[in-house]
Amino acid sequence: MSEIEVSNSDIYMQPNVVFSHGKNYLIKANSGHGKTSILNFIYGSSTNYQGRISYNSKTEINVLRLRKEKLSYVFQDFKLFSSLSVYQNIVLKNNLTHHKTQDEIDAFINQLGLEHKRDSLVENLSLGQKQRVAIIRALCQPFQFILLDEPFSHLDPTNIKIASALIQNEAMQQNAGILMTALDMVHVFNFNATINL
Amino acid sequence: MLIKLQKKTLVKTQLFGYVLTLLIGVFIIVSTIQLFIDAKPILNEKTDVFNTKTAVISKQVSVFKSIDKQKIYFTPKELEELQAQPFIKNISVFNNANFKIKAFSNHSESIPLFQTDLFFESIPDAYLDVKVEDWQWEKSQNFVPIVIPESYLTLYNFGFAESQGLPVLSKNTISQVEFNLKVFGNNNTEIYSSKIVGFSNKINSILVPEAFLSYANTKFGRTETSRISRVLVELDNLSDDNILRYFNDNNYDISKDKLEFSKLSFIFKSALIFISGIALVIIALSIAFILLSFNLVIQKNKEVIVNLYSIGYSYQNIARFYQVIISIITILAVVLGIVFSYYLRSVYVKKFKTVFDFSESKNQIFVIGFILAIILVSIYNIYIVKNIKKTVTKTN
Repeated sequence: MSEIEVSNSDIYMQPNVVFSHGKNYLIKANSGHGKTSILNFIYGSSTNYQGRISYNSKTEINVLRLRKEKLSYVFQDFKLFSSLSVYQNIVLKNNLTHHKTQDEIDAFINQLGLEHKRDSLVENLSLGQKQRVAIIRALCQPFQFILLDEPFSHLDPTNIKIASALIQNEAMQQNAGILMTALDMVHVFNFNATINL
Repeated sequence: MLIKLQKKTLVKTQLFGYVLTLLIGVFIIVSTIQLFIDAKPILNEKTDVFNTKTAVISKQVSVFKSIDKQKIYFTPKELEELQAQPFIKNISVFNNANFKIKAFSNHSESIPLFQTDLFFESIPDAYLDVKVEDWQWEKSQNFVPIVIPESYLTLYNFGFAESQGLPVLSKNTISQVEFNLKVFGNNNTEIYSSKIVGFSNKINSILVPEAFLSYANTKFGRTETSRISRVLVELDNLSDDNILRYFNDNNYDISKDKLEFSKLSFIFKSALIFISGIALVIIALSIAFILLSFNLVIQKNKEVIVNLYSIGYSYQNIARFYQVIISIITILAVVLGIVFSYYLRSVYVKKFKTVFDFSESKNQIFVIGFILAIILVSIYNIYIVKNIKKTVTKTN
């Protein structure tokens, strides 16, 4: 990013930026401007920044607890396990949290049109199918924020509608916030704020 | 699910190769150590005629020395040096008789008439295994007990008696025979009666009590000082390799069987150490092999491991599978090694028992194997956790 771009940013060089749970945020920027980096900073998987991130005013965090109880993340590159099936990938996460029952997981799979792929290996799926698996997996845990890194980039409008409804529904139930990145203005959720990187 | 995922990251042939090499290494090292323990009593064994760990040393007789006889005697300095050796507990000297002796049988006895020249030597009584009451001499006593080499009796029975048509004698009968000793020199002559009270395998000499010899030497002796040509040494440990080296370096002769024994035990020990060294190398290679293949697994599956960490699995969680697998196969290899080693021991113990007077030492195979397994498993567990931690925190 150039210096002018940084000075126009809603996050970089700002004294502080607060994300409140229960609200939806859209982080918007062109590619290569650090949308994923911002989410990784928040997720605790990258510390390559200057400044401070505090969670409920705490800076010292247990990354693993955060990832099991507070923050869910739909990764841009999915981070699925190609040697496991769709269902196994989801269960691998759910085993950590025991957040959803098997029926609930199957319901998600059905809603997102993956029932015929339930037991197929992830390595045989299309990008769009993988993205849906990643979304279902992210819903299998309690969270105060869900981080969505261009979550619908490979989905058709119908599936975007279904997936966004599922996410919004889960977030509302837990009074959680949504942090979504996108290249452009999108209106899949009712965003309370749009942040330009 | 985690196990299912991680199972696919393993390479079974590598695990098998590890088990095999470790098994061989453990088997050899455990067996050699146990063999060493078992063989130790045999190595330190003493078939007793003289006191336990004694040996007789003398100077080697060479062409030059047979001309200059002075060279076969030990100087006081050499004796001091001998005494100072760490493996020598104690030394004592042989006293020679400095007078002439003739032995002859009584006319009245039923044994053949004989007369022969003899020589006497003595060693401190403590070194002899003869009953105390038999081995005493006082000035007033006319009876002198003697000990002869067992080979003399053999020589007589199977050589002399056979060719001359004389009766053979058992140890017992010969011990009954009384004969006379004529001791003379220094213008004195005296006749004593005598009997053989014991036989020795290890000292090729005719021995009399020390008290008699020192008395007789002063009374009949030609010279004042008796020269020392043979030394009795008491050794700390017969199988000490230094014994052999020291005596060789100084051109001393040590009674043959002891020398052979020391040689044998040196070769045996060297062989065991050599084999143990090879076994250690094999074990080290197997450790290097499994660590290398573990590293390979990590490198090949870095993405899987990092992704697991990303979705909330701790590095301990991720490491556990590998810890359990490597621990199990390590223990399996060690247990198999122990089992084979037990079998081998049962075979050689049977052999030992037929050849030696062998009593089993404590079986340490299990203990050694157990310690080895604990060390290996600890190394692996620490290594794995560290490595996984490094992998997930470095890239994440």
